[in-house]
Amino acid sequence: MKSRLRGAALFAACAIALCIGGCARKSGEAAAQKKLYIFNWTYYTPDSVIEKFKKEYGVELVYDSFASNEEMFAKLKAGGSDYDIVFPSADYVSIMIKEGMLAEIDKSKLMNLKNVDPAVLARAEEYDPGMKYALPYYMGAAGVAVNKTKVKGYEPSWSIFRRKDLAGKMTMLDDMREVMGDALAALGKSVNSVDAGDLAAAGKLVNESWKPNLLKFDAEAFAKGFAAGEFWVAQGYAESIFAEYEEARRSEVDFFIPKEGGPLYIDSMVILKGSKNKELALKFMDFIHRPEIYAEFCDAFGFPATCNVPARPLKKGPQWYKAEDLAPCELKKDLGADLEKYNAIWQEIRVGK
Amino acid sequence: MKRNYGGLYAAPQALWLSLFFAAPLAIIVAYSFMKKGLYGGVEPEASLDAYRALANPTLLLVAFRTLWVSLAATAATILVALPCGYSIARSRNQSLGLFLVIVPFWTNFLVRIYAWIAILGNEGFLNDFLRLAGLVGEPLQFLYNQGAVILVLVYMYLPYAILPLFSTIDKFDFTLLEAARDLGASRLEAIVKVLLPNIRGGLVTAVLFTFIPIFGAYAVPLLVGGKDSYMLGNVIADQVTKTRNWPLASAISMTVTFLTAVAAMLFALRSRRKAVHVEIDAGVEATAATRAAS
Repeated sequence: MKSRLRGAALFAACAIALCIGGCARKSGEAAAQKKLYIFNWTYYTPDSVIEKFKKEYGVELVYDSFASNEEMFAKLKAGGSDYDIVFPSADYVSIMIKEGMLAEIDKSKLMNLKNVDPAVLARAEEYDPGMKYALPYYMGAAGVAVNKTKVKGYEPSWSIFRRKDLAGKMTMLDDMREVMGDALAALGKSVNSVDAGDLAAAGKLVNESWKPNLLKFDAEAFAKGFAAGEFWVAQGYAESIFAEYEEARRSEVDFFIPKEGGPLYIDSMVILKGSKNKELALKFMDFIHRPEIYAEFCDAFGFPATCNVPARPLKKGPQWYKAEDLAPCELKKDLGADLEKYNAIWQEIRVGK
Repeated sequence: MKRNYGGLYAAPQALWLSLFFAAPLAIIVAYSFMKKGLYGGVEPEASLDAYRALANPTLLLVAFRTLWVSLAATAATILVALPCGYSIARSRNQSLGLFLVIVPFWTNFLVRIYAWIAILGNEGFLNDFLRLAGLVGEPLQFLYNQGAVILVLVYMYLPYAILPLFSTIDKFDFTLLEAARDLGASRLEAIVKVLLPNIRGGLVTAVLFTFIPIFGAYAVPLLVGGKDSYMLGNVIADQVTKTRNWPLASAISMTVTFLTAVAAMLFALRSRRKAVHVEIDAGVEATAATRAAS
């Protein structure tokens, strides 16, 4: 009996101590520093940029990451996340606008808005008319990486996936919108087409002309496999490919955006309606578009400074493709219920025989 | 006077299970009967669309492929696990053997899959070795096909088969094997006719513990499979993460769960009945009696 009482007392003491400790820590934090919560793609803003922002504004910054728009969206919808800034792609910006999840941007607070390329803003009109909610962060596209030591005599075109001599040495992304979009572009159609005939033709092109030459559809480990010499041609993101290569070996790789174009993406910074730090969030967005900061961000990933014009001459590092290469590409839009049409064809491609 | 606190002690366990097992399962059941939300999630509206979508021939094709890959991988796992379990049970240093079986669990399973990629790759250790030995000129394509999927699955689930097999073999009275040999059985006959029937319980557990998780495999076919290694686990994941069809993902999960549960119960029941027969068979008189009766 005695021992049980003692145990209960001990437990209560611990609970009280924990509670007091927790409360004390919380109030202390609020007094000391403001905290900006960012929900961004896995490693999409370099640490050096974040450190600079924290230092200059004397704030804390929490960087949580997601691996896909769908994952991000599901987490926000589930609620309970106090994020200030999120980095959705164009299609999800329009979805989040429709769902009333975003706060309007006060453009008068964005001193560096003048640096943003008007050509990018013109494209952004499609999903965010008048730039009310989303400030473009980066515009890019998946392309094709070729191991130059193994593959010779090709042109920058989707037709490389027709080459039977490279059968079993090529991969494409395990991504419905990307691969179907590539096939649509190769056929001269819109990457957002929902026409049954277009989609059937695109499915046929993938199934009959490309897939027999592919080793696999891979969106997880294509860069590792490519760098290890498993695949000689890989459709994917340049930054993933080059992250696997040390400086000296990078000349072995050619990366191109096919001349027929393909799906283009614009990732944006948006402020959530429930954000408690809207002022600070705007400061962060403005900070990113300082030319020297934007150049630093792009240099970290070998990106061209697609969204910020004065950042272009400030870039010091390499870039895997040029902003102009993206000209023939077309912005990927949200297809709403028509996504199901893509899904039906994609299932057949993925399941195979 | 002593009171029985059994129910009280079991309460946390019951609470835990109902919270973290039954509740999520109930949510999946509910989702499978609802209308899909345009952007993921579900609409609060009853619908059988998801179950109607199951009749899709491409889905059936994936189901059959998943079934044969799982059967092949389970069979191979048991074939490797049996001698392993046997030798650990018979060894003088059992704890070392068990320790070695468990060691891989200390490494994250994704890391272990990547380790296999490093072994099997065209520029991997195995091809390097074959080339150095002068056995092959061009590297052999080990990765990105069904064979690689089965091999890595066997590796992943081997411990789940070895442990139950070991524990039943360990309890087996090995003098029975000697008796069988004395009565004229060959070494193989003794194992097949005396050892195997007596460790049936362990075999059943091993089969269930490997087949069920392999049937839901996701990461292995994704990483070491080829263009046609798509399995049910991948379909379910893609429906949730890519095509925003949560009800379909739930309906597939429910169907698989239901079929696996029924199959597992039938399998376990049948084996138990057989086990009873075996016990009877073990007695010579009983055998004679059965014969006389038949």
